[in-house]
Amino acid sequence: MVMTAVKQKSVDRYVRERDRFAEMLEMARLVPGDEGELYAKMFEILLDAKETIVDCVENDKPFIAGYFCNAPELFTAMGVPWFMVMESPFLQSSAPYVLSEIDATEHMGLGTDLCTAIRLPIYYIEEGLMPVPTAAVGLLYPCDATPMLQQVIMHNQGWKDVPIFSCDPPYTSDERAITYFAEELKRMVTFLEEHTGHTMDIDRLREVCEESNRTYSLWQDYNELRRNVPSPHGFTPGGSTAFAISQCFTAGDPRCTEWFDLLYKCGEARVKAGQGSIVGNPDWKERIRLFWFDILPFIWAEDFLPWLEQEWGAVVVMDMFGHCPYTLIDTTNEDTIFYGLAKRALIDAPMIRQARGTAENFSNDIRRIVPDYKIDAVIWPGHMGHKDGSAASGIMRRTCRELGVPFLHIGLDLFDPRYTSVDEIKDRVSEFFTGMGLG
Amino acid sequence: MSAQDAWRIFAEATRSLGNPEIDAWKAQGGKVVGFFCSMVPDELFTAAGILPFRMRGTGSTSTELADAYFTPINCTFPRHAFNQALLGEYDFLDGMVCINSCDHVRRVYDNWIQALDTPFVHVMSLPHKVDDPQVGWYHDDIAVLKEKIEGQFGVEITGDRLDEAIRLHNRIRALQKELYQMRRAERPPITGVQALEVMVAGTALPRERYLELLEEVVEEARTAPGVDGYRARLMIVGGELDDPEYVRIIEEQGGLVVTDSTCFGSRLMWEAIDEEDPDPVRSLARYYIQERPSCPRMCGDQPRRLAYVRDLVNEFRVDGVIAERLMFCDQWLVEHYMTGNDLKADGIPFLALDREYILSGTGQLRTRVQAFLEAIKGTSVTIRAGAQSLA
Ligand code: SF4
Ligand code: SF4
Repeated sequence: MVMTAVKQKSVDRYVRERDRFAEMLEMARLVPGDEGELYAKMFEILLDAKETIVDCVENDKPFIAGYFCNAPELFTAMGVPWFMVMESPFLQSSAPYVLSEIDATEHMGLGTDLCTAIRLPIYYIEEGLMPVPTAAVGLLYPCDATPMLQQVIMHNQGWKDVPIFSCDPPYTSDERAITYFAEELKRMVTFLEEHTGHTMDIDRLREVCEESNRTYSLWQDYNELRRNVPSPHGFTPGGSTAFAISQCFTAGDPRCTEWFDLLYKCGEARVKAGQGSIVGNPDWKERIRLFWFDILPFIWAEDFLPWLEQEWGAVVVMDMFGHCPYTLIDTTNEDTIFYGLAKRALIDAPMIRQARGTAENFSNDIRRIVPDYKIDAVIWPGHMGHKDGSAASGIMRRTCRELGVPFLHIGLDLFDPRYTSVDEIKDRVSEFFTGMGLG
Repeated sequence: MSAQDAWRIFAEATRSLGNPEIDAWKAQGGKVVGFFCSMVPDELFTAAGILPFRMRGTGSTSTELADAYFTPINCTFPRHAFNQALLGEYDFLDGMVCINSCDHVRRVYDNWIQALDTPFVHVMSLPHKVDDPQVGWYHDDIAVLKEKIEGQFGVEITGDRLDEAIRLHNRIRALQKELYQMRRAERPPITGVQALEVMVAGTALPRERYLELLEEVVEEARTAPGVDGYRARLMIVGGELDDPEYVRIIEEQGGLVVTDSTCFGSRLMWEAIDEEDPDPVRSLARYYIQERPSCPRMCGDQPRRLAYVRDLVNEFRVDGVIAERLMFCDQWLVEHYMTGNDLKADGIPFLALDREYILSGTGQLRTRVQAFLEAIKGTSVTIRAGAQSLA
């Protein structure tokens, strides 16, 4: 297949990411036991996702650009390969080239106060560094930045022939809202049928939703395990990884269920053995149970998060992406399926759940998670993109005060450690723990 | 009542939150409901006999109280407006209607219900697209608000009353547009500062009363000698701009603001609401979602917004566009990024300026506008020879 220079450039980053995952997979395979298998399966899934898109680009097969929490079971049921338009900042945030790319976004005129996870994809799109799909679908929430990313896609000359449909989630969460969003999802399916050549078979969709129901049941069971003291896992698999696998890569796919099954088994074995997040160090003890109410700071995953555990015995028992109400989809008929998908997308799916509507979900989640998971402190990292959440931080603080649990608001960029340095954050957190008599 | 009186009342209403007209309204037992964002259909309140007041932070000097709720990464407009509410400056309100117009404003609702005991507080759900299903959604959302107003204030908003309110608001729009159209002239009858005063006052006064005053102002403008001696004709594009002093600084450098596309500006009145539809709620929904010039949060409508700006640039013979943005506003940041690229490709000078809600950094603003006017001099075809500063 002949690749034009433009096309080659658009996929180069993907090839690089694919190769990075291939290396990580090899490393994970060296880790013995179930946990090694868990990591290996995760990298297999990520590698496969990258390989699929590279194959689509190289061989002119239809594929779409999509968005998280946008009922990805629909893409699986239609068999249409997709990539999450914002995935690179999340998956590659620790790659050495990301900081210079962040600088480049500023030189483009995108300033410094727009979410870095949006600035980067805008940069990739505008610079021709993202695969140009057959069609694109989006979700116009959870923040102001996401519809703006959609509009840059529509505006970009290189994507001018890409048909685009964006689902519009309402601000409310009642029956009317869910029914309206279910209709939006149906319109998205019609759009995809029209533009990708893939069709929807309702029996196949039922199968996929039943599979994803199995995933969500396992996710719930697994999170029950995290209520144990010590929690079987911390920032390692369970939170963000569970979200990514179930929402971005393998929704409604048996591989996803298998992964959650293995996750459960790993967690269960640790609980039975009385093991916590760090094993193999008899002197280590879980001393502080944290609710990290945001996305985990991936970029510091090799530094800050292990530091929390090792230095303070502070374990992220629950985070925003790990928490989900796990409502199962009623697969009786087409309408119940779409209704269930809409409800899951609007009300259950992490981050959309908290950030889409009124601030009640922030306080409700704190009220539920703090006692359920025996939380000692709530940290609102205050990612610079989460302006709605920051404007709810007063409400979170008051909720924590009512519950008698300490609350810390940091203020950082999840993707750029120059915004607030890792050392500064460590100092803030240490002062907080000390001041609150924790650890 | 003369045009001079009207200008005085407009200036007064723009430079403070409350004003004597509101006091008089309240003294007669009238109700006032505040609302955020130009996408809230204020015709509903007029139909209910309630004075709709567009929320601002005018007069605020600090966000100290609001900072217990918001953070430094939040837009300073809702922070100042909320601070004013916490200080009691909004105690004249009998209700407040918020909307999910952006991540910052929508949280005013959440914080307001925590901190204040205004009798009626509601949040609207504005869709993000301009297609027919979204008109349907907003129709129902407006109907929900209508019912809530009726329940809270014990009034019935009949079809006839709503039709009448729509006609009144349309009449205001038509006159405001006429005044704007006069600014296409080589010697516009009013400055950008005055235009903004006219528009802001229109969101803060009882509407019947405002219409009378507006008629005086428009009448006077029809025969006014007009402004001259400016160096360039400017257009302001952006969001929440309700402070005439900001425009004054631009005009003091010699640029005359002849038109705009802002939230308190032309987008409020360029189009009229359909008066013929037997379902006035449907007319409102269609108007707010599809017909009026949209703002960046309405996804998929950027080409129409760009066309709107381009048309105004041509119609008003604009020499340069100033794009203002309040810091931390994602919507206008990306919108300006796209508009700037498009206008520069057309050869239209474009200056993007970030600002805080209350006037600050005026030295830098002056310098940047001066430099922009110099740059325009190098590119523009409509330079006014020998022009002096308006100051
Ligand atoms: S602000 Fe948060 S929700 Fe929005 S794009 Fe950034 S990371 Fe995602
Ligand atoms: S200027 Fe932007 S951020 Fe500020 S209130 Fe308006 S839309 Fe929201």
